[in-house]
Amino acid sequence: MIRHHHTTREQPDRVVLLGAKGFIGRSLAEYFATAGTKMLAISSAEIDLLLDSAAGKLQRLFQPSDVLIFCSALTPDKGKDIRTFMKNLTMGEHVCAALSKSACSQVIYVSSDAVYGDDEALIRETTPCQPSSFHGLMHLARERMLQVTADAVRVPLMCVRPTAVYGVQDTHNSYGPNRFVRAACRGDQIGLFGAGEEQRDHLCIDDLVGLIGFCAMSRSSGTINAATGRSISFDELAKIVVSKAQRGAVAHSVRNGPITHRHFDVSALFKAFPEFRVTPLETGISNMLEKLMVSSGNPAIRAT
Amino acid sequence: MIGFVGLSHLGIVSSVAAASRGFDVLAYDHNEATVGTLREGNLPFVEPGLRELLERNRERLRFTSRLDEIRQCALIFFSSDTPTNVDNESDLRHLNRSIEEAIPHVSEHCILVILSQVSPGFTRGVRERLQSQQPDRKSKVYCQVETLVIGDAVRRATHPERFIVGAADPCEGLGEVYRRFLESFPCPVLRMRYESAELTKIAINAFLVSSVSTTNMLAELSAEIDADWTEVAPALRLDRRIGPYAYLSPGLGIAGGNLERDLMAIRSMARRNGTDARLVDQWIELSRYHCDWVIRTIHLNVLPERSNPVIAIWGLPYKPNTDSTRNSPTLALLSTLRGFEVKLYDPVAVLPPAYASMATQCGSALETCDQADVLVIMTPWAEFGNADLKRVEEAMRGRIIIDPFGIFGGKNERGFGFSYFKLGAPPYPKSR
Repeated sequence: MIRHHHTTREQPDRVVLLGAKGFIGRSLAEYFATAGTKMLAISSAEIDLLLDSAAGKLQRLFQPSDVLIFCSALTPDKGKDIRTFMKNLTMGEHVCAALSKSACSQVIYVSSDAVYGDDEALIRETTPCQPSSFHGLMHLARERMLQVTADAVRVPLMCVRPTAVYGVQDTHNSYGPNRFVRAACRGDQIGLFGAGEEQRDHLCIDDLVGLIGFCAMSRSSGTINAATGRSISFDELAKIVVSKAQRGAVAHSVRNGPITHRHFDVSALFKAFPEFRVTPLETGISNMLEKLMVSSGNPAIRAT
Repeated sequence: MIGFVGLSHLGIVSSVAAASRGFDVLAYDHNEATVGTLREGNLPFVEPGLRELLERNRERLRFTSRLDEIRQCALIFFSSDTPTNVDNESDLRHLNRSIEEAIPHVSEHCILVILSQVSPGFTRGVRERLQSQQPDRKSKVYCQVETLVIGDAVRRATHPERFIVGAADPCEGLGEVYRRFLESFPCPVLRMRYESAELTKIAINAFLVSSVSTTNMLAELSAEIDADWTEVAPALRLDRRIGPYAYLSPGLGIAGGNLERDLMAIRSMARRNGTDARLVDQWIELSRYHCDWVIRTIHLNVLPERSNPVIAIWGLPYKPNTDSTRNSPTLALLSTLRGFEVKLYDPVAVLPPAYASMATQCGSALETCDQADVLVIMTPWAEFGNADLKRVEEAMRGRIIIDPFGIFGGKNERGFGFSYFKLGAPPYPKSR
């Protein structure tokens, strides 16, 4: 259940962004800069959330009218082990410690759909959380830590659980649009696991940051999955990329793991944010190709 | 003389049906306005055939707001519809109060029948209270399961499939007046203990919800795999284990309030008694999911083409032949269309005040289509199926029809250029 604490949209007085140098953080920083929102963008270079001193530093920074957006985490490419899991919890602990002493007006936590089990066919916000990875467990634990803290200081908490996000600034080169588009740009083969049968929902980064923007302007609280409501197979996705890039090829390989699918019921998202618009995947892929073309200075790559 | 205490939908339909079997009927309600309306031959709601039946039997029907008049009745039905709260849980306070107020005016041998929707244990509680308060009273207490279907209530009340009667001791004979009343209808009478009868009512609705949920689940799958549910359903109807009257038409979840109330009752009883009723939670969740089919279709298929569409909606009640908007999918849809220009038409129902600002209510179906980008048919009124699609096409700016119930059948495919979405079948044209 989403609750909007502002009945009409209001620009936040200031956004404090933790994790400003990551994929999502960079895009959020650009979004709020474009919107003219006053912002304090913090990366690990400014405040290392792993250090005990982080809580005190954050506490001194937070203003009562701030919207805190917490999207800082050690992602699975940095480690999938217990040590990384514990580090992520430590970061959450420090943020919660700061919040409990110096509350702001809203907290938005950028979580993940990894909180759900791998074998859930259709996911909605009421789907029981059964993370199969430390990454998912970490996000779920942080959600709970923040909820307890937010409740104690009476601050609205919005947990946004994005599915696989794609965009030019992705730093993980994850399996899906991010890797496929780059491979196609290079003219390389797009390597699929098996025949690429698994169906997934792919969310454009612009849609995610727009949604988080809505959450901030409406001072929303609750939990929402960020997805498009349309899933396609990796094989279909790869073919779209090749078709749009007019280069590259799709290569299948022997599958090792089981086939799992992921679909989202996004009714709650559409109902809570009627103005939310999904970027069609084909459009998002084309835009990504165009941007990569511009940034690479390679005129040979042309998105159709 | 047969008395009915409580004149909402159930009480009015039941009292008129009793009069139609030749009984003299006294129908009481504390609300003088309701009684006045009925005395004038008018009805406070829409129910096909009821006005005519009332007219034909007026000489045997007397409406009153004086409770002391029920003393002349040998058989009294407590017939008010049980209200529910926002969580669809029954609120039996009104019925309890109604019984307590009536008892002092009831003759000593009068037979009392609870017709209202009650939870298991309610009727036994009434009997025990009565016995402890008035040990010498000879009144027998029964409960009778109502199976009113709004929009089809007259047919079902005048030609019931069966009577289900709950008694303290089902082996004991029914009181003479009650037996004569029941036998005046040509249908079986099933006698059972109170709790069984009360559970029967809930069980009927649970099976209906089960059918609705299964149909909706399979219809959604049907659309995804390029099957057409309208081709599947007839085969199921011919299966004796499923049957010709099974709920096999896909819809927008369960609505109306009665089914939801009984699901809540099952959940509540199961929790209290430690039985596993998680299936009910699944039904409720599935119902919400199917209720949201239209909003998902709009977001996924309309908004990518036109970001800020004008939306025309036909139909407001949760089903045709009624003006009841209780748990109506249209109202649920309207509350999710904030910020859009919405025009709405319904032949009988009016937008409740809380929703009045969410849509412009038009005087005709065609008027809503003027410059609309998408037409959504939320209630399958027969008149909508007869609409002239050519004129609709001329009036609209866009070319999208969302018709969950498929009232246009194959019309669109025969020469109209609409993109067409219905439950149970893939979108038309297929290339979408």
